[in-house]
Amino acid sequence: MSISLLESVQVGLADIKMRKLRSAVTVIGIILGVMSIMVVLSIVNGMNTATLAWMNERGGLTRIVISRNWMYDQRKGGQDHFTLNEIKLIRDMIPEALAFNPTIQQWGMAVRRGDLSYSTEVVGVMPDMVVIEEWNVQTGRFFVKPDVEWNNNVIVLGSTAARELFGGLDPLRQYVSIGDQQFMVIGVLREKLIARRGAGKAIAGENALEYLNRRVFIPLSTMLHKISADQKIDRIEVKAATTEGAQALRQKLDNIILNLRQGRDVFAVTSAKEQLDTMRQTSMIFTAIFVLIAVISLFVGGIVIMNIMLASVKERTREIGVRIAIGARRIDIFVQFVIQTILITLSGGVLGIILGYAMLDLVGTYLDVTVIASTGMIWTAIMVSAGVGLLFGIAPALRAANLDPVKALREE
Amino acid sequence: MAMIKTSNLIKDYPMGKVSVRALCGVDMQIEEGEFVAIMGPSGSGKSTLMHIIGCLDSPSDGEYCLDGHEVSKLDKNDLAQIRNKKIGFVFQSFNLLPHLNVLKNVELPLLYAGLSSRMRKIKAEEVLDSVGLSDRLRHKPSELSGGQRQRVAIARAMVNDPAILLADEPTGNLDTQSGGDILEIFSQLHQKGNTVIIVTHDPAVAQRAGRIIRIIDGRITDVDLPA
Repeated sequence: MSISLLESVQVGLADIKMRKLRSAVTVIGIILGVMSIMVVLSIVNGMNTATLAWMNERGGLTRIVISRNWMYDQRKGGQDHFTLNEIKLIRDMIPEALAFNPTIQQWGMAVRRGDLSYSTEVVGVMPDMVVIEEWNVQTGRFFVKPDVEWNNNVIVLGSTAARELFGGLDPLRQYVSIGDQQFMVIGVLREKLIARRGAGKAIAGENALEYLNRRVFIPLSTMLHKISADQKIDRIEVKAATTEGAQALRQKLDNIILNLRQGRDVFAVTSAKEQLDTMRQTSMIFTAIFVLIAVISLFVGGIVIMNIMLASVKERTREIGVRIAIGARRIDIFVQFVIQTILITLSGGVLGIILGYAMLDLVGTYLDVTVIASTGMIWTAIMVSAGVGLLFGIAPALRAANLDPVKALREE
Repeated sequence: MAMIKTSNLIKDYPMGKVSVRALCGVDMQIEEGEFVAIMGPSGSGKSTLMHIIGCLDSPSDGEYCLDGHEVSKLDKNDLAQIRNKKIGFVFQSFNLLPHLNVLKNVELPLLYAGLSSRMRKIKAEEVLDSVGLSDRLRHKPSELSGGQRQRVAIARAMVNDPAILLADEPTGNLDTQSGGDILEIFSQLHQKGNTVIIVTHDPAVAQRAGRIIRIIDGRITDVDLPA
C-alpha cells in the first residue's frame, strides 16, 4: 500500500506554500525557458500559417510555375523563351491541367489617365489567370477568349491601381493609355489581402500581397502585338485539378520542357507544394536553433532546481527520518520529493506560459513577424516543464529515499 | 508467546577501518502486555537496541522475532510496513512535523497505511481525544507546551493500534509535572493491555515499569522486578 498521488500532491503543495520565496526564486529559469518556447513556437506557427495563407491566396498547392532557371549558364545555349507553337504544344500535352496561363510581365510602365500617370507592372495574361490565382473581379468582368484572339485593347485593374487612377470614380468603360495604345477598363479585381498579425490582432497597413493589387492586366496577345514586341514569353503558370495531381503534373511538365530544350535545364518547373516544403525546411532549421536555446535555459533551470531540492533534502533530513520511522517506504519518500519538484517546475511552466503569451504581441511587433499561439504549444510547455521537474527531481528524491533513518533522526 | 524475542543479537558499526561492537549478544524476551524499561548509561547500546527493536536498524547477527515474525532478515519495504503497523515511536524531542497541525501529524502513519482521508480524520480525532487534546486539533506543534507535544506524539504512535509502544527518553525534555503526566498515560496504555517499552537512564521513570532490563557495554547485565 502506498501513499496516493493526490496525497503526494497535497504534501508537495504544503511544502511549496511553506517555502514561498525559495520556490519562487527556484523557478525563474523554468519561467524563462518556457517563455522562450512559447514565443519561438508562436513565431514558427505564425510563419507556417502565413506561408499557408500566402499559398492559398496565390492559388493553393495546385499551382505550378514554369520560369527561367536563373542558375542556368546561358553560354550552354538553348532558347530562353517559348515560341507560340511551343506554348500550344505544351498546352496540348497536358489536357489534365485545370488552367494554363503563359504570361509576360513588364515592370515600371506608365499607365496614364488624362494627366494622371501611374507607374506599375503590366502583365499580359490569358483568361485562365484568374483561375490559377483564384482571383475574382470586384466589378466588371475578366478577359474571355475573344479578347485574346482579337488582340482587344481591354484592361483589368488591380484594386490599388484602380484607386490610384480613378480615386472614387467608377473605372468601368473608362479609358487609360499605355504607350500609344488606349485601353478600355472592363474590370477591377478584388483586393488580395494577407494581414500581418501579432498575437491574433491584425497590424494595420500591412498587406503582404499589396504588390498584386498594384498590377494591371491586359490580354497576352495584345501585350505581344501592341505593347512590347520585343518581349518574349518566358513564364507559364499551370493549375492542376488536385493537390495529388500537382506532383505528377509537375513531373510531366519537367520532362516536356527538358525535351523541348534537348535536356538543358533552361527552365525551372516548381510546384507550390515544393515551395511550401522548402519554406518549411528553412523554418525547421530556425526552430531547431531556437528550441535548442530554450532547452539550454530549461536545463540550467533544472540544475538550479536540483541543487535547491538537494539542499531542501539536507534541511529536512530529520523530517524524512520521522516519516520513515512511522512507516513511510522508500518509494513514498521518493515520490514525495519528485512530485514536489514537478509541482515547482509546473507552476513555473504555467507562469512562463502566461508571461510568454503576454509577450507575444511585443515580440511580433518588434520583429515584424506574424505570431500565433495555439493550445498545442501550451500543452507542450506544460509537458516540458513537468518533464524537467521529473528529470531533475530524481537525484534529490533518491538521496532522500536512501537516508538512513537512525542517522536521520539524530540530525539536528 | 513472547511479543519480542532476541537471541544473540549483535550489532557492529564500521568506524573507518575498525568496527565498533554496540551490541554483544543480547538475549531477551518481552511478553505481550508487559511494561518494560530498558536502562543504561549513554553509550551502553540501549539506543541501538531500541532501533533494532523498532525495526529502524537491522542486527549484524543474531535473531529478532517480533510478534511471531522473524524480522532480522526482512527487506526495507517489509520493515517499513512493520514500523507502520506494529510499532509506535515516541521520541525524546517529540519529532512532530512543524508545518503540519496536530491532526495532520497524527494522521501521518495512517496516510502511509493507505487509509482514506475521512477514515484518517476519524481515527486521529479519536486517539487525540483519548490523550485529552481534542481542543487542539488545528494547532501547530509550536503553539503547544512540551507536555502537549509529547501527548500528540503518543497519539501519533498509537493511532495505528501498534503491537508495541516504543519510547526513547519520553520525559527527557519535560519538566517533572508534565513528565509525570506522560508517564501516567503510558501506565494507562499498559493497563489497557498495550506492550510498552521505555528506554531511559532515569531510575524514577524506570520505577513505573513492571520490569527493568539493564544494559551496559552492549550486554544485558541484570533484569529486575521492582517491588
